[in-house]
Amino acid sequence: MDITIQHGVFVIFTLVTLGSALLVVTVRNLFHAALYLMLCLFGVAGLFALLTAPLLAGFQVVIYIGAIAILIIFAIMLTPQVTRVIKTTNAQWPVAIVVAVLFFVMILSVVSPLMDELGVDDWNADFTQEDADRVPDSTLTDFGESLVSRDRFVLPFEIASIMLMAALIGAVLVVSPDAILRRDESQPPPSDTSVSADTGASGD
Amino acid sequence: MFEVPSLSDLNIAATLPVMSLVLGTCILLLADLFVPQERKQLTAWLAVAGLGVSLALSLLSLGDVTRFGDGDEAFAGMFVADTFTDAVNVIALVTALLGVMVAYNYLERTGTQRGEYYVLLLFTTAGVMFMGAAGDLVVVFVALELLSIPLYILSGFRRPQEASEESAMKYFLLGAFASGFLVYGIALIYGATGTTGLHDIWIAVDDIVAGDATSQYLLLIGAGLMLVGLGFKVAAVPFHMWTPDVYQGAPTSVVAYMSVAAKVGGFAALLRVLAAGMPHFVLDAGAPAAWQDTVWLVAVLTMLLGNLVAIVQNDLKRLLAYSSIAHAGYVLLAVAAAGSAGLADESAQAVVIYMMAYAFTNVGAFSVVIAVEKDDASNTGVTSMRGLARSQPWLAAAMALFMLSLTGIPLTAGFVGKWFVFKAAISADLFFAVVVGAVTSLISAYYYLRIVWYMYFEEGDGEAVIPWPLAAAISIAAVGTLFLGVMPYLLTDMAREITLAFGG
Amino acid sequence: MVPLWMYLVVAAALFSTGLYGVLARRNAIAILMSIELMLNAVNINLVAFWRYQKPGDVSGQVFAAFVFVVAAAEAAVGLALIIAIYRRRQSVIAEDMNLMKW
Repeated sequence: MDITIQHGVFVIFTLVTLGSALLVVTVRNLFHAALYLMLCLFGVAGLFALLTAPLLAGFQVVIYIGAIAILIIFAIMLTPQVTRVIKTTNAQWPVAIVVAVLFFVMILSVVSPLMDELGVDDWNADFTQEDADRVPDSTLTDFGESLVSRDRFVLPFEIASIMLMAALIGAVLVVSPDAILRRDESQPPPSDTSVSADTGASGD
Repeated sequence: MFEVPSLSDLNIAATLPVMSLVLGTCILLLADLFVPQERKQLTAWLAVAGLGVSLALSLLSLGDVTRFGDGDEAFAGMFVADTFTDAVNVIALVTALLGVMVAYNYLERTGTQRGEYYVLLLFTTAGVMFMGAAGDLVVVFVALELLSIPLYILSGFRRPQEASEESAMKYFLLGAFASGFLVYGIALIYGATGTTGLHDIWIAVDDIVAGDATSQYLLLIGAGLMLVGLGFKVAAVPFHMWTPDVYQGAPTSVVAYMSVAAKVGGFAALLRVLAAGMPHFVLDAGAPAAWQDTVWLVAVLTMLLGNLVAIVQNDLKRLLAYSSIAHAGYVLLAVAAAGSAGLADESAQAVVIYMMAYAFTNVGAFSVVIAVEKDDASNTGVTSMRGLARSQPWLAAAMALFMLSLTGIPLTAGFVGKWFVFKAAISADLFFAVVVGAVTSLISAYYYLRIVWYMYFEEGDGEAVIPWPLAAAISIAAVGTLFLGVMPYLLTDMAREITLAFGG
Repeated sequence: MVPLWMYLVVAAALFSTGLYGVLARRNAIAILMSIELMLNAVNINLVAFWRYQKPGDVSGQVFAAFVFVVAAAEAAVGLALIIAIYRRRQSVIAEDMNLMKW
């Protein structure tokens, strides 16, 4: 196997990804864990770029790091006591290690026969070294068209948009004002009119 | 050059039942803005109307009065519109209708009446219907999320009650965890077959069976991980641990709905993936499908654990939670039968019959719990059934009927369901699992009949609140349970037409 | 070019790390972060299979994009639930999140 510069870059991204992933699940300070999560997501973005999927690498940075990780950091800062936890793991952590290692070994044993030059020799015979070197010419246009063209992903695209709307309604509902209003159970529940006034879901 | 697809290209007419429901839900969402808080029954009625339209369309399609669109496929194979889809639609919509009926007064008296409840409930129903119609693993995945995310919210609907919020949290974390497994499984199947379309997978499996070991193992582990992900949703052992806590903490009206709906969606998708997608995935020629052993083993474990642990439960909601775990085991037995050659359709029919019977019976049983439950979510113990026969004879009679049906006594719907499940499993030579199923059914008689005993032979005040929509829902459920039990041919004639679009 | 199996092993390792985090962590936000690790592992798998199996069509990439969408929706709902619970009971998510016992 020729060692190319790609291998070096791969090793770097892998170390970044797996190293920071380990820190995410072990460090005590949640805020630090979230920052390591961002680093890990950057590593994954690098792997995407290495796999000639620059579009997904971009998505990864914009959506995962830019939105989801930031959202997590917001949540951590809005729940300050959480970061002062003394114990990070529950009593089952040895079992968790065993389960995780077993899962890894299971996948490894399936993947191990592929460990040859390209990893696909006895499996996808059409895939040759030339294919490996040629960058696939899929573009942003292809990607966008496949989301809306008739023989591709229109239906999941539509279901995903309904799902996002349901999630949006749900998230707003969960944190909507009447939860704050009634959070103290010692207070009497508000009358119907006050509920309808602050939900924003009434027309009167 | 890109062409904008027309509606007829997509064969969108074939998706009419579910599309009309989605459209109706969006209208409901807007209409609810103009419904004042003290008249939320209007929202509930609109939800019933939306569900009714969709149910009518599904029944027309199922009864072969009209077929919508041409052919079995819409959206270029992403959506499968066969008779199985129609049957799943009908079960999901009936469950949702009963779910809306039992919810209205319950929300009113627990002070959680909000229009979003019905909107989210309808969204979930659309998710179930999409799962039953999935022709592609992408659709399975996205529809599962459409099914799950509103259910997470609904479980936490009973604010500011701690148990409800914590059950939502628990359900959410384990549900998201499970979808991680599901999607890892999908990725491995994609790796093994190079496609996510179920029809293409079906074609590719032949090559894989003839091919090398690596892609066989990839496909096997992929299917196994999908079983894990969907097993969480249907509450199969060993992925059941969320069930009792979530069922106990969530509002009872939500549990009545989700104990059936999540199962319908999960099993429909499981059948689509295993029975339609890879029934011929065998490792030795002539043997049953490679995934069959795993599925029936899970089924046996589920039946044993669900029924045995239910015996020691003293809370009605927890008891019914373990009972619902046990029933997931019986349905899994039918799914396992699909692994034997030529049994895919028979097993799909058994699943449909079982779920139809279970929908009426289980929603009915939870409706009775709603009737006896106090406004502060207390009084759901088994002892709350004491003396019910004297104070509420009709309610007690209905509950007794539901309990007999859950046990599987002849002349109830539950018996018909079990009969067809066991029949399919016997055709597939799963004798050991059938014996376990029969024995555990006998065991289950103990804890179901204990409730009947409390109602009829012990003294108690037997208080219950039964507003008319709840009474109507219980009546419909009781009539359905009795009708399907006394005249099973109504159901079986219909079920005989049910086939999966490909596979077998 | 880096062989396929290396990507698959990295993905499996990342998934196992997330799996450990979900089962062992006590804090809801930490569990959610571990779930994000699992979903990222899946995406590495999907993109790697796409690159070596079907580089000619974008389906693997599109699927990965759907995983992004779902991850975002789950994160939004999950964090909303966490914040809602935290507002009522300051400690609930800080302790005793034990998914295996539950």
